[in-house]
Amino acid sequence: MTDLRVLHTLRCLGFTDLARVADAAALSEADTESRLIDLAVDGLVTRTPGPFGGWGLTEAGKAEDARLVAAELTAAGTRESVAGAFERFLVLNPELLDLCTAWHMRPADGVAELNDHTDAAYDSRVLARFVDLDRRAADVCTTLETALPRFASYRRRLSAALGRATAGELEHLADTTTSYHNVWFQLHEDLLVTLGIPR
Amino acid sequence: MTPTGPPSPRSHDRSLPLAGPDRRARPLSPADPAGPDVLGGKGHGLVTMMRLGMPVPPGFVIPPAACRAYLRDGTLPEDLEAAARDLRVPLVSVRSGAEVSMPGMMDTFLDVDPCSPRLRAAVEEVFASWLAPRAVTYRELHGIPHDLGTAVVVQAMVSGEHDEHSGSGVAFSRDPSSGVKRPYGDLLFERPGSDVVSGSVATRPLAGLEEREPGVWAALLDGLDRVERHYRDVCHVEFTFESGRLWFLQVRPGGLAGRAAVRVAVDLADEGLIDRATAVRRLSARQLRAARTARIRLTDDLDVIARGTGAGPGVATGRIALTADRAARMASDGPVILVRPHTSPLDMHGLAAAAGIVTTVGGPTSHAAVVARAMGKPAIVGAGALSVDPAAGLLRTAGRVLPEGTPVTIDGTGGEVVAGAADTTTDESDPYLERLLGWSANNPGD
Repeated sequence: MTDLRVLHTLRCLGFTDLARVADAAALSEADTESRLIDLAVDGLVTRTPGPFGGWGLTEAGKAEDARLVAAELTAAGTRESVAGAFERFLVLNPELLDLCTAWHMRPADGVAELNDHTDAAYDSRVLARFVDLDRRAADVCTTLETALPRFASYRRRLSAALGRATAGELEHLADTTTSYHNVWFQLHEDLLVTLGIPR
Repeated sequence: MTPTGPPSPRSHDRSLPLAGPDRRARPLSPADPAGPDVLGGKGHGLVTMMRLGMPVPPGFVIPPAACRAYLRDGTLPEDLEAAARDLRVPLVSVRSGAEVSMPGMMDTFLDVDPCSPRLRAAVEEVFASWLAPRAVTYRELHGIPHDLGTAVVVQAMVSGEHDEHSGSGVAFSRDPSSGVKRPYGDLLFERPGSDVVSGSVATRPLAGLEEREPGVWAALLDGLDRVERHYRDVCHVEFTFESGRLWFLQVRPGGLAGRAAVRVAVDLADEGLIDRATAVRRLSARQLRAARTARIRLTDDLDVIARGTGAGPGVATGRIALTADRAARMASDGPVILVRPHTSPLDMHGLAAAAGIVTTVGGPTSHAAVVARAMGKPAIVGAGALSVDPAAGLLRTAGRVLPEGTPVTIDGTGGEVVAGAADTTTDESDPYLERLLGWSANNPGD
């Protein structure tokens, strides 16, 4: 039977290295690698060597993932609940993107400058709005987790990113591969794939 | 369509001073002396254009005081229905218009029957959208007070999709990339204005209007000239033309940055619209700093393939790749520019491998833009004239076809996609910046 946990985690991460798949799937690296190799034998994933290489799905892998995820949702009988959560996600999404943009670029005198992070008051205003948005996002995550338990990974990873940012590691808002924005971006992709909506 | 004249004597009577700020509907009229605090920024601009003799659809403004009252006790001005009926038009638009512009943050309703309960509901929704979390975030980030409230502008609908002599567009009075004195903008024939700004439909360059609708073109140039002379600055307008008749829907002065802002200030001084001291005052230290960021050197023979919105500053040259996989493979042989319709997590390795990123849809706050900036890469979004065909390995525009691998240069500030390896420019070589700095040093010599 196809290992949907690792296949679908990689589908939503896109194209990445072993450590990130393991972290997102909440599995050990050794276990994750063994499962990836099994999927590769079935022609569903592939590993590209080179400086920009990593693990990714083949076209067959994407098709198989879409089929299995649709079957999973049908079996759970929670399509309506996931679709409702996606609508609420789409209300929050532009605000999250505004916040990431405000984190990188700072409008002043009609010029959008790169935010050089020398104004602590501005940065803390942005962070406070991230925290406020995260409170509202938590409701969406709870609905999703109740509908399909595998969505629990997003709450865990979003909280981890925000926790590190509020503790002073501000690059975890929008700049690292495990940043709040990147996890959010994967959640967006996951919702589209789960509901079978083309981007 | 009912022509809009000065307020009737009756409406004068109704505007006798009362205790507290006036919440009542105010007809859009060139005679209204109120400022943006009462008319909102959009309403004030519309009244200004009427005063300049420009065509503006008839309508009325509900002042921000009415929004504050609504958010306090849920009541709307009693004369709302009467004001809507008095327009005597079949359909209206209902738009927000705060004193300080908050583009895209609040609701807009089109094609509303002014005599239906939907009008009331639309006004209520626009008022309520002042408190939408995204709008609150915007005000927090831009230092706008939360207690201002927004005006609502109700106007007769003009249709950009009425017939083949209809359409919509946006225009700057001068080129926003260079500051050169020639109108620049985007246009769609037989489409509503919402399609022009959505980025979901490939727009045409503004100049296409001259040939197809010369009358509209002439009226547009005339209007751009009038608002420039009035505001003594470059202006941005939104317009719709219905059956060959032009209507202005919004005006906003300023909005240029960097070198373009410098050039406009110097040119306006040379044209006598502002004095040199004003030109110097207009350019803050921030803007002068922005004028020093690397840009593509704009020359007459520059081969501009497309323009989008600059979303990550900087200039990058590389070969076109149309999929993330191709970008990752091609990057080992030299720099690559990844061109995608939009991006998903499946493109992350391509984004990492590319020297610069172009998307054909989406705005400056898209996932692609956020990721590009996080990686410090030049990026352009919403280059709507491009269409990506990965299966054929071709990038298409209206006039040409570029195979994958073709070298291009992108400017993540101005949003230009240029064929080949273009030169970049720095402040030392900008004669406009030198002249402006000369004026600021109290040295008026050229």
